[in-house]
Amino acid sequence: MSERSDANADCGNECTEALRQLGAYLDGELPGTDVEVIRRHLTACYPCTERATFEEQLRAIVRRDCSDHAPPSLMLRIESALEVYWPQR
Amino acid sequence: MKKHRKWLKVWKAPSAFTVPPWQECVAGALRSELDAEAGAATQVSDPGTSPASTADHAEGDRSDPPGEGQTRRELSDVERRERFVSEALPHVDRLFSAALRYTRDPTDAEDLVQETMVKAYRSFHQYRPGTNLKAWLYRVLHTTYISMYRKAQRRPQESLQDEVDEFSLYDEVARTGGSAEREVLESLTSEEVQQALADLPESFRMAVYLADVEGFSYKEIADIMETPVGTVMSRLHRGRKALQKALATYVRSRGLIADEPEADA
Repeated sequence: MSERSDANADCGNECTEALRQLGAYLDGELPGTDVEVIRRHLTACYPCTERATFEEQLRAIVRRDCSDHAPPSLMLRIESALEVYWPQR
Repeated sequence: MKKHRKWLKVWKAPSAFTVPPWQECVAGALRSELDAEAGAATQVSDPGTSPASTADHAEGDRSDPPGEGQTRRELSDVERRERFVSEALPHVDRLFSAALRYTRDPTDAEDLVQETMVKAYRSFHQYRPGTNLKAWLYRVLHTTYISMYRKAQRRPQESLQDEVDEFSLYDEVARTGGSAEREVLESLTSEEVQQALADLPESFRMAVYLADVEGFSYKEIADIMETPVGTVMSRLHRGRKALQKALATYVRSRGLIADEPEADA
């Protein structure tokens, strides 16, 4: 076992609870009181902070790599398609 | 606002249209109307000023009696179109990105967005001004996708293998011990990340996309996908795990994480 994986080996109840809520925490979906608890834990627990940072960075990578832009021609197509439905005076 | 002006510019260019002769009069009238709007639109140059007019219209098509010196009235068709152009059309770019996740094909994605915007305009009277327009449009996108593509596909029930629940890329990196997390993340190419997401079953793929890329809340995703919040949470959890598992295969091929679960660095 490497040193790194040992870091989480004596993970206590607090870590288990923090990791269980990590996803919702990173999604900004935890209620305020729980946010405080997990934040306090993260400032004190290095392995959990490492993990949280990793998960956060991975989400940022997905966000960066999976955003595409529409080809300019699409707007013209849509405007032409909508023209039939535009109101008449 | 920049975008808004761009649309108007496009509108003003008659060469952009192929107008059937029977529509020419209408189109001509529309064009001059739009020219007038283009002038008006420059006055609303600060997006901060639009909510005021939005709020005005907001109660217009409800049965509230007029009061508080506000003009409450039915939105005219022209106003509705005007609002659609300025508020809904700017979402086309993002909707295309989402459509590409649904269809996984650029041509199909364009068709899907076009159909979505036509449907959205035709049911724009159902949209409650002041509510979340972006989420509403994504919901139209979702239902349009289902009626255009999924119906024809007869897809089997989607699922992910149970063992995906246990997977964590972070743990894999930690287990290997050799490479830093940062190195692993930086080794991932855009193509690999896109492919890994595209390979997820649709409901998991879209939950992850709507949360991680578009930043929608669980509740918004539930509304868009017409599914309970609990289902969204479970799809997100498992979808992200499966995504990490797919990414792990790329990372593993570069020797940055160990091959076997038992292996040590």
